Amino acid sequence: MTKSTPKHDVIVIGAGPAALTAAIYTTREDIETLIFERGVVGGLAAVTDKIDNYPGFPDGVEGLKLSDDLRKQAERFGAVIELGEVTAIIDEGKYKKLETTSGDMHAKAVLIATGSDYKKINAPGEEEFYGRGVHYCATCDGAFYRDKKLVVVGGGNSAVQEAIFLTRFASHIDLLVRSTIKASDVLQKELQDYAKKGKITVHLGTQTKEIIGKDKFVTKVAGYDTAKKKDVDFVVDGVFVFVGLEPNSQFIKDTKIELDEIGFVKTDENLQTAITGVFACGDIRSGATMQIASAAGEGATAALKIREYLEGRPHAPQN
Amino acid sequence: MVKNITIFTTNTCGYCSMVKKYLGAKGMSYEEVNLDEFPQRQAEALELSGALTVPVTVVTKQDETKEVIVGYNLAKLAPAVA
Repeated sequence: MTKSTPKHDVIVIGAGPAALTAAIYTTREDIETLIFERGVVGGLAAVTDKIDNYPGFPDGVEGLKLSDDLRKQAERFGAVIELGEVTAIIDEGKYKKLETTSGDMHAKAVLIATGSDYKKINAPGEEEFYGRGVHYCATCDGAFYRDKKLVVVGGGNSAVQEAIFLTRFASHIDLLVRSTIKASDVLQKELQDYAKKGKITVHLGTQTKEIIGKDKFVTKVAGYDTAKKKDVDFVVDGVFVFVGLEPNSQFIKDTKIELDEIGFVKTDENLQTAITGVFACGDIRSGATMQIASAAGEGATAALKIREYLEGRPHAPQN
Repeated sequence: MVKNITIFTTNTCGYCSMVKKYLGAKGMSYEEVNLDEFPQRQAEALELSGALTVPVTVVTKQDETKEVIVGYNLAKLAPAVA
């Protein structure tokens, strides 16, 4: 190990709810903790308009506010957030070496909490018109579509939630759902209210085939109605895509850390990966339920398991 | 050398907060144009960035050249304001 590289007790990779909760727990135990975040503190929660199912908020909470409060809480106990990217983890025994955009660092324990990002649909035109009619963040880009027509692609919680958010701006939204709506009952009921008002039209069994544009901007979405077996076009100004999540695990693909067939990180019952001293929690973990409340719970569990590891104790049930 | 920085933002944009946080941590001042408050300036943001998105950060150098960073992109933002 190079003696001049900074050494930390714990480095947490990612700064979403799982990571910030873990940091609250480790720093309250006086375990020095550095958090690395390459994107937005709060992760996908920070770019979600409203979170209705996180306990303790009877009226829901804005994702940005929840993220900011989690950050403040972690920082209050001494967590330090570094804005940068971890590009590799190398097992050097007692210390793990992390290659980062701020230089090499070492940590006794590492927690991978890098979460996931929205998937692409891989339709022709999606990449070409990215940022010019194709978007993945309603809270960032929705304001550009005041009194415009939009397509939202997807049928899960995120797609329905963000379609409802976008009605603040758009004059009308066509929701293209490849099969059936999989959002929660509460969201489905809310969606029905917007459908009755004529703000959102739901198109079940509709595939998104191509995103078409003119003069650099989106003008139309070409779809296919699988029930009627016919093409259907939507003349719109923009498309927002929310069709599921993909793991942020590219940086560990060449390590001993085991990934499942999709790329999520496999852990044991102690949330430890195939490298001793490297843990994973939250949305990046194989088998995670992709809920903010679960991510926070896993963050707390991971922190307690890391404490046991740093103390050299065998993993034991918590009192 | 940086002469001034303008950031186009919206109220709900998490990535906009990150740009402001980054510049704040560097002790750099900036002008914020909130497009929810000033929707008439959307066209300006679009012309500068070529994209319908925020944040758009415009870094004007002492020689009046401009560097435009679309989104929260530290790999471009950090050298632009160094």
